[in-house]
Amino acid sequence: MPSLSEVQAAFSAAIFDPAAAPPRGVVGPDRRPAPRRFGVYRNNVVSALGNAIAGSFPAVRRIVGEDFFRAMARAYVLAEPPISPVLLDYGTTFPDFIAGFAPAASLPYLHDVARIERLWRESYHAEEAPALAPDALASVPEDELPRIAFSLHPSLRLARSRYAALTVWRMNATDEPVTPVDISAAEDALIVRPGAEVEVRKVPPGGAAFVTALAAGETLLAAAETAQAADARFDLAGNIAGLLAAGALRDIRRA
Amino acid sequence: MSQTMKTLTMSALIGAVGAAMATFAVPASAAEEAAMEKCYGVSLKGQNDCAAGAHSCAGTSTVDYQGDSFKLVPAGTCTSMETPLGPGSLTPIERGA
Repeated sequence: MPSLSEVQAAFSAAIFDPAAAPPRGVVGPDRRPAPRRFGVYRNNVVSALGNAIAGSFPAVRRIVGEDFFRAMARAYVLAEPPISPVLLDYGTTFPDFIAGFAPAASLPYLHDVARIERLWRESYHAEEAPALAPDALASVPEDELPRIAFSLHPSLRLARSRYAALTVWRMNATDEPVTPVDISAAEDALIVRPGAEVEVRKVPPGGAAFVTALAAGETLLAAAETAQAADARFDLAGNIAGLLAAGALRDIRRA
Repeated sequence: MSQTMKTLTMSALIGAVGAAMATFAVPASAAEEAAMEKCYGVSLKGQNDCAAGAHSCAGTSTVDYQGDSFKLVPAGTCTSMETPLGPGSLTPIERGA
């Protein structure tokens, strides 16, 4: 007689493999195998998980249409069932799945839009924290400024794209009509929730490298040099002001 | 605002921090929003809806599992949104990366 964990593993495997026979022991009132009953159960599991994905990626859903989205979500659910019992976490790998999903290849920006939606949710559920007050830098002595570093706000996320994924996301995050978009312009999005609402901003040139360097713990001077090297158009004053205004910084750390 | 630094000197950095601070001295929002364009926070509709009742019957068909052939193409707003590569087509086409 198989152990309980063996029964559960076989049951679970059969759910996510439509070609698999129903697990042994799944029987109807007549004590005979009940493949149709198991099919209903299997379909409910996959359908419910698909609903969770649909709820998490409303812009992607609008972009590709309901039929395509449902089919793509089903393929994802079967390929990558949840590994955590927390449904909130389900879909973390959906953007990567879309990137490798051949039928969606005609929309090369789609997985980046999905990434914005995923990071939006991460930001929404991230730890609460007050943002650094915009005037806090004024209290740092000038000769210490190059050596300070920052801890960033816990809800801060960065979504980089070779395409205009931010514009596409913004246009599809509501029910407003869409207009043509030049998707060839690369866009980086800064996602942060300083208060109750998640806010999304377009990052200026070099800004993503700057934030990434600060997140890695680099000093203000080193991060500015990194950003300058990444993009000659990098504007330090504008980026510092932008991060302060966004509430993207949490604390000043002095070396 | 538009300082182009070849090498980032300490004075340039101090100047930049000062300039950044100055944007907060102006009362209105124009200066601070210039650096990063704020989009907005979009609330996800029905995020916490419990749809258990709705889908308990929705999946009763087993037809979905009859075949695995994927013939659909994207047909949502992408068909009217893209320009440089042409509008989204209803048939799969090759497009440059």
